[in-house]
Amino acid sequence: MNRSLLQKIAMPTALLLVWLFFSFMLDRDALLGREGARFLFIGSRNLTQLFIEYSIVATLALGMFLIILTGHIDLSVGSGVGLIGGIAAVLIFKEGWPAPFALLGAGGSALVLWTLIGVFVVKQHMPSFIITLGGLLIFKGLFWLVIQNSTIPISRGGEDNLYSLLTTYSLPPQAGLILALGLTAVIAWLQFSDRRERISHGLPPGSGAAMAGRIAIAAIAIFGVVLICNSFRGVPVSLLILTAVAGAVYFITVHTPYGRNLYAIGGNEEAAVISGIQVDRVLIGAFVLMGVAVAITGFMMTAYSGASTTTVGDLMELDAIAACVIGGTSLKGGRGSVVGVLLGAFIMTSLLNGMTLMAVSPELKFIARGAVLALAVWMDVKFSRA
Amino acid sequence: MSHDPSQPTIFASSPQSLSSRPPVLEARGLIKKFPGVIALRGVGFSLRPGEIHALCGENGAGKSTLIKLLSGIHPHGSYEGELRVDGEPVAFRSIRDAEAAGIGVITQEFALVDDLSVAENIFLGRPPVRRGCIDWTTMQKRAVELLAQFDLAVPPDAPVRSLGVGQKQLVEIARAMDKKSRVLILDEPTAALTEKEVDVLLKLLQRLRAEGTTCVYISHKLGEVFAIADRITVLRDGSSIVTLDAKDTSIPQVIKYMVGRELGDLFPRKPPLAPGEVLLSVQDLTVARNASEKNFLKNISFDLREGEVLGIGGLMGAGRTELLTHIYGAWGVRKSGHVFFKQNPLSLHTPSKTLRSGLALATEDRRRYGLNLSMAVGFNLSLSSLHDMTRFGKINFSSEYVRNQQFFDQLRVKAPGQHSVVGGLSGGNQQKVVLGKVLMTGPSVIMLDEPTRGIDVGAKLEIYELINRLTAEGKGILLVSSELPELMGMSDRIIMLHEGQIGGEFVRGEFSQEKLLAAAVGQTAAVNN
Repeated sequence: MNRSLLQKIAMPTALLLVWLFFSFMLDRDALLGREGARFLFIGSRNLTQLFIEYSIVATLALGMFLIILTGHIDLSVGSGVGLIGGIAAVLIFKEGWPAPFALLGAGGSALVLWTLIGVFVVKQHMPSFIITLGGLLIFKGLFWLVIQNSTIPISRGGEDNLYSLLTTYSLPPQAGLILALGLTAVIAWLQFSDRRERISHGLPPGSGAAMAGRIAIAAIAIFGVVLICNSFRGVPVSLLILTAVAGAVYFITVHTPYGRNLYAIGGNEEAAVISGIQVDRVLIGAFVLMGVAVAITGFMMTAYSGASTTTVGDLMELDAIAACVIGGTSLKGGRGSVVGVLLGAFIMTSLLNGMTLMAVSPELKFIARGAVLALAVWMDVKFSRA
Repeated sequence: MSHDPSQPTIFASSPQSLSSRPPVLEARGLIKKFPGVIALRGVGFSLRPGEIHALCGENGAGKSTLIKLLSGIHPHGSYEGELRVDGEPVAFRSIRDAEAAGIGVITQEFALVDDLSVAENIFLGRPPVRRGCIDWTTMQKRAVELLAQFDLAVPPDAPVRSLGVGQKQLVEIARAMDKKSRVLILDEPTAALTEKEVDVLLKLLQRLRAEGTTCVYISHKLGEVFAIADRITVLRDGSSIVTLDAKDTSIPQVIKYMVGRELGDLFPRKPPLAPGEVLLSVQDLTVARNASEKNFLKNISFDLREGEVLGIGGLMGAGRTELLTHIYGAWGVRKSGHVFFKQNPLSLHTPSKTLRSGLALATEDRRRYGLNLSMAVGFNLSLSSLHDMTRFGKINFSSEYVRNQQFFDQLRVKAPGQHSVVGGLSGGNQQKVVLGKVLMTGPSVIMLDEPTRGIDVGAKLEIYELINRLTAEGKGILLVSSELPELMGMSDRIIMLHEGQIGGEFVRGEFSQEKLLAAAVGQTAAVNN
């Protein structure tokens, strides 16, 4: 009992510590009101930037979450992010496709590739670790072939298109507030209707205060983010994309039989087969959804870099895995939640962003990233013994 | 639960008169609490030197917890009460302490490394060493000596993987004996053994007793208990109820103490007056494990009708489980023959299709094939029936909860609630969850593979009554069991398998242990079939 409580507060505490550390290191002058000092870390400019980076990492992590839930893993997604973003860039810049078609085409190739990975894992019984390790190298090679080791802009003549706007467009302030209001209303409505239904079935409805608390926390978080963004340029569109992806993954894992089956396979695959779950289909489906997440992440990441270059997506698979594991997803499968993954990704992004602001050298950044990953896995091992 | 500093530690030396030999091991007033549960609420018993002492009790009575205290898994200080070895209070802080005091435990799950050899397993963790290197010659020599003692005809360098369950058990015992255990605790040692292996084990225990080893024997099989035990201590709800001399008591009396009430008929089967339509028809079925291997099941034919219990017996490896899992679509490659379920052929089918058509399987190994142990009872119950609770792609949690609760109550699962994690329940309650999951799909034929393995008398009876209820509703049951009394008690007809073939078919009224066993070993040539 104490252990689950510890697990619940461990993540928010870690996040708080990370933020306190960076605000102290970067913003103490501004916090003390020294003249001429500006907020570096918790200033709205940096936070908007951080939210964009967060959207990119978290979208990939949510895809990875579906794979890890089944007890599998996908190491190829970092290279995939580069490859899919690169295909879209080449289609636009070299082939002259309109941006929407280019994105659809590149997205389609992601679906094909990840369906193939799923089929190899399921039908040929290849361990996902190995086949996606192969995928990591193959996709990297394909990526460099596609962009011919050069830098491909994502639009012709520097004009904005759907692709480039993915990380540059921001909503007008009023639109952001209206969306925040709408989202809060939807969350409150879902909570209320759930409660009403429980009562109508004669089930214990749960504490009303706890429900009000949940709605209040959600409202504070949503409005907080929107107000921060509005005091810079407005809510970035990538954050909207993340919201949609997170909503979809939440619905899949919590509310659908398909999501239940993901947990069941991760918990005990042999029992899942006997329980009548079509394990093959569910697993291939998880890889297809991973492909969708890779495509979306690839577009955002490439747009954020401004162009497709050979380093786009490097090591992102590790950030995604780390976000899942920090967020309490078990690498053995069968345990984890969307909220956890979102928090885990936020911790990871805050770390990366803060270190960049502090001008930490790349050497130390690698070491810090690795240490966080190792620490997260250690915690996973420790907690799974419960 | 604080540690008492005044407690003497292991083997505090004090003068001890040898006029009357104190108990080898004695437990006094043991109380063990877990968060929310009191597992032991006062257990006391003592072991006389050189006796075989049986511990009986339903699942959840506290036997496993007691063993964990005796063997040091729950260390001193985590419980109340006192343990004494040779009359001296002891404080085991770890398994190592208990082993040093001469207490060896053999649990249901073997602690053997499958890929290492028999000899390596016997000396696991403490191999004979000479000049810092493992002394392989001595190891082999001592292993051969030990194995000879146990009449175990396996080469010491054979990998443990290649051994049968009974042989593995003997390897475990050999290891415990090599550790110079004076007290041997065996937890359900015969759960997976064939009758012959059980005989070998019981003989061995009798010999160990003659040599002065004290045994604690834990088993649900009261027949065995009475065949071997000198005294019997009954546990119920975490308390020791009574210790009896085996020769002064009887099975019904022990059962009465175990359940705290009289049990009626042990096998309350009510056969149907007239079985209905044929539900499942197997015709001349021949199956191999893989396309390239030789046939494993050969020319099997039978019909199962509405309201009927068809028992399937046979020795281990006769093909009982394989037959069920092949019908279910989860095992083997069919070489010839047909399976019809409600007149529709079942071939190249998958478990999900079979289950949806109304044919369900509750597997033998519930922990491996039946349950998601880290998940809640509710998650497991509804897992096979989610589509019935889904509208527009969304699971209706309320109707899921209501439906789960219906089966939770109907099967009388003893757990705090649907939210309880299945892994923490006793074997009988886990089995009820498996059955609940299977029954929720609304099957018309249910294949039960060893439905009462490792569960206690009370839960067994509930499962037998469930079988009666299901057949009264017109469902058909295929019942696989290794226990002949159960098979004979609950089946309307019995098919005995012998090396993948039907060795004999019997109808109720002509059942006898001798006939069934003869068919199982292939002694009856061409039975009326």
